[in-house]
Amino acid sequence: MIRFSRLPVYAVGLCLGGAGLGDAVAGLVAEPAELRLRVGERVSFLITEKGADGFERDVTEVVAVKMAGVAGLEGVGAVRAGQVGEGVMEVDLEGQRLAVPVVVGPAAERVPTFAGDVLPVLGKAGCSAAACHARADGQNGFRLSVFSFDPKSDYHQIVRGARGRRVFPSDPGESLLLLKASGMVPHEGGERLAKESDGWKVLRDWIGTGMVYAGEREPTLERLEVIPAERRYRKGSVQRLLVRAHYGDGTVRDVTALSGFYSNDKQVATVSEDGRVVVEQVSGQAVVVARYMGKVGGAQVVVPAERELGAERYEGLVVRNFIDRLAYGRFRALGLLPSGECSDAEFLRRASLDVLGILPTAEEARQFLADGDPEKRRKAVARLLEHPAYADHWAAKFADLFRPNPDRVGVKGVFILDQWLRESFRRNQRWDEFVREVVLAQGNTHRFGPAVVYRDRREPAELTTMFSQLFLGVRLDCAKCHHHPNEKWSQEDFYRMAAFFAPLRQKGGGISAPISGGHETFWGGGGGGVLNHPVTGERMMPQPPDGPAAVVGEGQDPREALVAWMLDPGNPFFAKAIANRVWSHFFGKGIVDPVDDFRLSNPATHPELLEALAEHLRAEKYDLKALMRTIMESELYQLSSEPNETNAGDVRSFSRYYRRRMGAEMMADAVSDVTGVPSEYPGLPAGGRAVQAWTYKIESRTMDAFGRPNSSSDCPCERNMKPAISQALHLMNADGLQAKLTSTAEGATVQRLAGGGMTPREIVSELYLICYGRLPVEEETAVAAAQFGEGAEARRRAVEDVLWALINSAEFVFNH
Amino acid sequence: MATHRNCDGHLRRDFIQLGLRGAMGMGLGMCDLLRLKAAAENAGGGKPVNCIMIWLDGGPSHFETFDPKPDAPADIRGVFKTVPTKVAGVHFSEPVTKLAGVFDKFTVVRSICHKDPNHGGGNHYMMTGAPTPVPVGCGAFVTFHPSMGSMVSHTRGVRGGIPPYMATPSNTRSGGPNFLGGEHAPFVVSGYPNSDAFRVSDVVLPGGIAEGRMQGRRALRGALDRMKRFNDRVTEDPAVEFDRFYEQGFDLVTSARAQEAFDIGKEDVKVRERYGRTDMGQRFLLARRLVEVGVSWVTVNWGGWDHHGGLADAYKGDMLKTLDQGVAALIEDLAERGMLETTLVLLLGEFGRTPKINPGGGRDHWPHAMSVLMAGAGIPGGQIVGATDARGYYAAEDVYRPEDFAASVYTKMGIDPHQKLETAVGRPVSLVNDGRLIRELFV
Repeated sequence: MIRFSRLPVYAVGLCLGGAGLGDAVAGLVAEPAELRLRVGERVSFLITEKGADGFERDVTEVVAVKMAGVAGLEGVGAVRAGQVGEGVMEVDLEGQRLAVPVVVGPAAERVPTFAGDVLPVLGKAGCSAAACHARADGQNGFRLSVFSFDPKSDYHQIVRGARGRRVFPSDPGESLLLLKASGMVPHEGGERLAKESDGWKVLRDWIGTGMVYAGEREPTLERLEVIPAERRYRKGSVQRLLVRAHYGDGTVRDVTALSGFYSNDKQVATVSEDGRVVVEQVSGQAVVVARYMGKVGGAQVVVPAERELGAERYEGLVVRNFIDRLAYGRFRALGLLPSGECSDAEFLRRASLDVLGILPTAEEARQFLADGDPEKRRKAVARLLEHPAYADHWAAKFADLFRPNPDRVGVKGVFILDQWLRESFRRNQRWDEFVREVVLAQGNTHRFGPAVVYRDRREPAELTTMFSQLFLGVRLDCAKCHHHPNEKWSQEDFYRMAAFFAPLRQKGGGISAPISGGHETFWGGGGGGVLNHPVTGERMMPQPPDGPAAVVGEGQDPREALVAWMLDPGNPFFAKAIANRVWSHFFGKGIVDPVDDFRLSNPATHPELLEALAEHLRAEKYDLKALMRTIMESELYQLSSEPNETNAGDVRSFSRYYRRRMGAEMMADAVSDVTGVPSEYPGLPAGGRAVQAWTYKIESRTMDAFGRPNSSSDCPCERNMKPAISQALHLMNADGLQAKLTSTAEGATVQRLAGGGMTPREIVSELYLICYGRLPVEEETAVAAAQFGEGAEARRRAVEDVLWALINSAEFVFNH
Repeated sequence: MATHRNCDGHLRRDFIQLGLRGAMGMGLGMCDLLRLKAAAENAGGGKPVNCIMIWLDGGPSHFETFDPKPDAPADIRGVFKTVPTKVAGVHFSEPVTKLAGVFDKFTVVRSICHKDPNHGGGNHYMMTGAPTPVPVGCGAFVTFHPSMGSMVSHTRGVRGGIPPYMATPSNTRSGGPNFLGGEHAPFVVSGYPNSDAFRVSDVVLPGGIAEGRMQGRRALRGALDRMKRFNDRVTEDPAVEFDRFYEQGFDLVTSARAQEAFDIGKEDVKVRERYGRTDMGQRFLLARRLVEVGVSWVTVNWGGWDHHGGLADAYKGDMLKTLDQGVAALIEDLAERGMLETTLVLLLGEFGRTPKINPGGGRDHWPHAMSVLMAGAGIPGGQIVGATDARGYYAAEDVYRPEDFAASVYTKMGIDPHQKLETAVGRPVSLVNDGRLIRELFV
């Protein structure tokens, strides 16, 4: 295999929404524009037709290609060099013609190496997949590392394993490795490399040339480039991808045939093993990731709706702040129009649930609906953000991510950390300060909440996983054991991050604390505590992912350097990660979703918007309430959840509000509030609310049914918000709810309404305000009022049944 | 000790087997797989197999139940005599005399073992088939991997409004769904079924609400629930899915058959007596009724089997009587009703107990040997699988690990134990890591 010495010039830099390849006239374009290759080498190319409609179409598979002299066609979209010289590849598409120069140089005098040539072949053929020879115990005695995370061991396995019988240097083609791989002798995995195929030849030549592990000056692979990097497609179209590897010495290599491919959204686009993308019938965005030797490159696939909407459709839209402006730009590219604005009642209910986790009271709703102030929504946002219920609601949200298993850290530790979280949100602690306190935590687990995090996550590796996921939005977990399959993260990245926590010291009773067990004290600094790479044994020096090596002074706590890097204004992850998390709280989904999984193969739906939100948050000095205010003031947040003719299929771009069911604590408190009968919780003071529950061990069937997270489960997880049968059954039939309906306590809603002097119609209005924050329409009033029969008992039954029906309806269960 | 073996040590026979399998290139040869698949399908005669798992939290003694050692020294043997079983030559210990009488209907595996002597870790290992990745303490409730019941729920889903996975009277320590998601947590049936006031909550109409009134409420909800629904699947309107659950929920509370099953008071008094008029005995009966009406997995969680002291007295008392009578009744009852072929019955805890009786007259934690009762779903009756050594220290013949147990249970349930699942962070994991089937269960 051979490297180019010069980079051919490609037409790249396609931009969204524009006409594609610059403003050049319609016609055919070849990529690369000139084919440079060496004798024996195979190189892929693309032929693209620029349409008058602004779309580019991959016509590689349909053009007629004539090749003369120095090289020959091989399959579709590839040529193989025959002899040194120059020639021309002639391309014809129904009369449109293009001539592509072909330059063939002499075969390179280069010895193939294990690291540079063999591993890619084994990877592409699937040998080093976890299902095959990279199983924990290998396959049939032949064991490779998953995604080649341990190349030295792999080399040893092939060259010396099984007493050297896998390779046969004096007749390389007869090596067991090749006989098996080509299926010439029985191989459970079947034929992975056809005899005489390029991959087969690489292995043969490598065996025949002394089985070199690595070349003396093997250039380092710096990045992958995928062509086309971003393009708009018609539904049903096909696009072949080219993958080019760029090396440190400036050489470029066509690695299309050796790359793996992965589409992040198979509804929008699928990709075959050889990099052929098929655009499906759904409009949206997808990214196809190519990976090769631990590097990844992406191709953005943008599929607009068939009907282009004219610019005038966007002109009249309400723009309240930068969020709307940036979102509408994306909507246009995707052919989406935002839904209409939600009603005042919907807005107040939505905002109250999102900021406070509680429903507006009937009185609050009544006042808000009657208020004629055009600024009333903005004022409501400001009011809600200052409401005392804010702290518990947000602390409970973050507790999902931090709350440790009481069986691991002791009940007291769980409580101390819980109280710290509540206090932090009570005083609206800035996010950078919050993170600083957690990451730099030291002290006694019975006194200082964040220290409990260290009691829970005892190993540097556990802290690495948790902190990178929570604070950076990056899942490094895979890289603990092997190179991340779809990302650039390597084991080095993981253990360099872990090295920040290696010197941490601990004193006191450790894990397996009994329920009311003793305490521990953690502190950093003072040196000591090194961390070695689990495979190479090399000592890992602290270095954040994608960041510079940390400079840690003598006796200094390396965590200081980690925090300094996180909070640096140039940090690529930190501000975006929290902005995205807060966003998802208000919209039900992140701009990157899942919110803690930022990666090339999981791109933001609105990258410019996420960038702007992060910038805004930095400008506001990480005041989360400031960000929330901006989000809630946007028109985007105030859209209706009812789709229009363009956005029924939009589930990622926020062109309508997405319905979400109420969370466990919210539902438990809402049922107490609308019935006027509080629940009593063991472990909470009288009057305690579900949102104040500080451990999952506080019993509540309602919270269990509605999926509160169980902190005995080991992960900092987003909670599961899917509807479940147990929820419907619980709301319908729970004895606890029935008891709240039949309660004769003074404050009980049914007791109050049935007992007073209100007319049935007035009672119905009151119930609608209590449950939905709106007044009923006439049809609803009529149906509900008709339930009321003669006599006190019938009246009471009617109130019970109407309230039951309202609670059991979607308008109650969902935030909409 | 000549027979000192533990979970690290494969016996010679195992090596031969492993070698053969190795030569075929995978854990099991293709023929094995096909045969076992067929066996699993035939287990329930084509019908899905349901499971009742009786979980003895704390770890019951294998000596005083299914693996007595009458020839061992007194400080190992204990105070109980052995009793003959329905199968000549096989003896159990006195506390399980009634079970001995129905041994023709179940298998006992005497050779399951692992290495986690803590309750938290042992629970997790036996309940999920996966060891905990970090050490966990004895009081711990932990989950790192889905429980078998949750996986059955995940695979089968909800049918007829009935939650597929139930636990009574509480969930087990590691009986949760982990990354499968909260909807696969068990539906917990709490309360005291021996009491006349006992009701299963949520799946039956609330107290004081007659069916007619519920029909009225249902109609009222139909008329008042006016939020627009968007049925186009691409819209992913969660309210549409919620409606589906409501329909199923209404069907359930108005299904006479289902409602009768939830009402244990409808059971023949003689049958109730047969299981024993204790809450635990009645839970076994309730489990049968739940399975009868379509619940796929019922775990009966029974704590208090951690006898570090006074073991002999405890095993002479009501606890064992309740267990012996109740489980024997359950197995016989299932067999008489023709349900045993489609019902897998499991009886186990997280580990066995130390051979030497401690100064307090108890036995301590011992994961190196335990006995597991398995019945139904085509499992042969009257069979002993494996053996411990002469003093009951170590599983010594046909040694199986928790992975093997889980793989066997999943296969009986018609679930591929080798399938890959994705964790919450998208990491692929095996449902069971390299579990071999306990072959004797598939004949």
